Amino acid sequence: MNEAGAPVIVAKGLVKRYGDLVAVRGIDFEIRKGECFGFLGPNGAGKSSTIRMLSCLSPVSEGELQVLGMPAGVAERRIKERLGIVSQDDNVDPDLTLLENLLVYARFFGMSPREATPRARELLRFMQLEQRQDAAVRELSGGMRRRLVIARALMHAPEVLVLDEPTTGLDPQARLLVWGALQALKRQGTTIVLTSHYMEEAERLADRLLIVDHGEVLERGSPAELVERIVGREAVEIWAENEAQVQRVTQAAGAAVQLSDRHGDALVLYSREPGRIGEELIRHQAAPNRMLVRPTNLEDVFLTLTGRDLRE
Amino acid sequence: MSHANAFWSSALAVWWRNFLAWRKFWRSSILLNFGEPLTNLLALGLGLGAYVSSMMQGVSFLQFIAPGLLAVTAMNAVTFDSGFDGYDRLNSNGVYAAMMTSPLTVPEIVAGEYLWEATRSLLYGAVFFIVVLAFGLVHSLWVVLLPIPLALFGVVFAAPALYVAARAKTHEQLFYYFSLVITPMFMFSGVFFPVNHLPWYIADIIYALPLYHGVDLARSLMLGQISLACLWDLLWILGYAAVLSYLPVKALERRLTA
Repeated sequence: MNEAGAPVIVAKGLVKRYGDLVAVRGIDFEIRKGECFGFLGPNGAGKSSTIRMLSCLSPVSEGELQVLGMPAGVAERRIKERLGIVSQDDNVDPDLTLLENLLVYARFFGMSPREATPRARELLRFMQLEQRQDAAVRELSGGMRRRLVIARALMHAPEVLVLDEPTTGLDPQARLLVWGALQALKRQGTTIVLTSHYMEEAERLADRLLIVDHGEVLERGSPAELVERIVGREAVEIWAENEAQVQRVTQAAGAAVQLSDRHGDALVLYSREPGRIGEELIRHQAAPNRMLVRPTNLEDVFLTLTGRDLRE
Repeated sequence: MSHANAFWSSALAVWWRNFLAWRKFWRSSILLNFGEPLTNLLALGLGLGAYVSSMMQGVSFLQFIAPGLLAVTAMNAVTFDSGFDGYDRLNSNGVYAAMMTSPLTVPEIVAGEYLWEATRSLLYGAVFFIVVLAFGLVHSLWVVLLPIPLALFGVVFAAPALYVAARAKTHEQLFYYFSLVITPMFMFSGVFFPVNHLPWYIADIIYALPLYHGVDLARSLMLGQISLACLWDLLWILGYAAVLSYLPVKALERRLTA
């Protein structure tokens, strides 16, 4: 289905500069109709800059960016009419009720309150906010505010929904609710573009990912394909007692190891063949006391690619 | 939909947003914008007025200051909303940022703000007018033209306040504008005494400021002292509206489309 999807957003050599700072350094990508496309990267990787450019919220410094067949920055109004934008901060209107928030926003798209009201009620139900429709926004929890922003972005039935870190700061229940809503939208054919630094979110929602750091593309592909290609299928985490044991284990595992890495005080060995590392360690009588064997995941890919330096 | 239609439809949507927000707090808002000029009118007009023995340009002191206070009420209603609330809409609660995720453009948002501020100016001016009327201080039917300068105040005083709100880095910086621009203008623009009694170098500055012409025009209309000076006042206010209207657009664009 994704292969069949026509490209809706195409970027070539996209650059974003803020004065001397280069936030995005010439990246290429193509987002197809009906897919969920994720930008994954640590803080300051250039995700938000990219998504702000394709939302026509920030001018393109250099390169080409086509959104729905129109050049971003030139056809701003016509592009925004067809995009649903969920920004990172929950900028719902604190002086209005939930329902008014949706009706006012719809009016910005030229929808009269009469046509917008049934749609607003339907979306409040979809986001499980219908019981609060006349409440003041000030009384809402963080999760509710985020759901309201998403409902608002859907008022004009956009073809593409763009979300900048949709679940950052939400509790697990609220996060699940948002994920469920996004999956339902995708089933209905909405193209979804999101940024995230949550691996679980990217793994669950995204059909294809762009892993970015320092404004550059590190990797691209589907989550499963990236995991398989970069870190193999199995991770063995070992808590060694000393450096000598680290040496011994690494030697014993030998060729079974595709890649090794340190996560804090743990040594992580990655392998394409499940079980091989364990077998080798037992054969060489080098199995440590504390060891965890688990399937690889996107987090392994992410940490391998972007390193372990703290980003603030 | 033609471009002009789309523009004004968007501006009206912004107006509607502000109206819905205002409707939640209208009682306290009217009280706050009304208490100060009413106090001035009563305390100064009745209290100080008793000691001002000579008539001011042929009318009582109360009569003299009422039209000016009406103009000031309108100016403050516009300035406070554009300055403080405009600052919040830009910085604290993301109202403008949210508008930018829709097809609205900055000029449309600014036009919507002007429509709204013109509404506020008329509304708060009207409330004060009722009091002035009740005191029997309206002496001419020419007063029906008063809404014209009041509506223009929606641009004349909203534009600089929005500009300051867009440039201010903190809430506190807004106070510079209020205490260094608005308050002196209020004190010197002929609300409490005729400007021609001031030294010429101060008077000439005052004549070039918009509030003076608003006060002078309001007084002329309320007292029925119609002359070419009224037209001159109106032209000054119109000129200010035209020259200032674009002022906040660039500053807001810089903040909203980085």
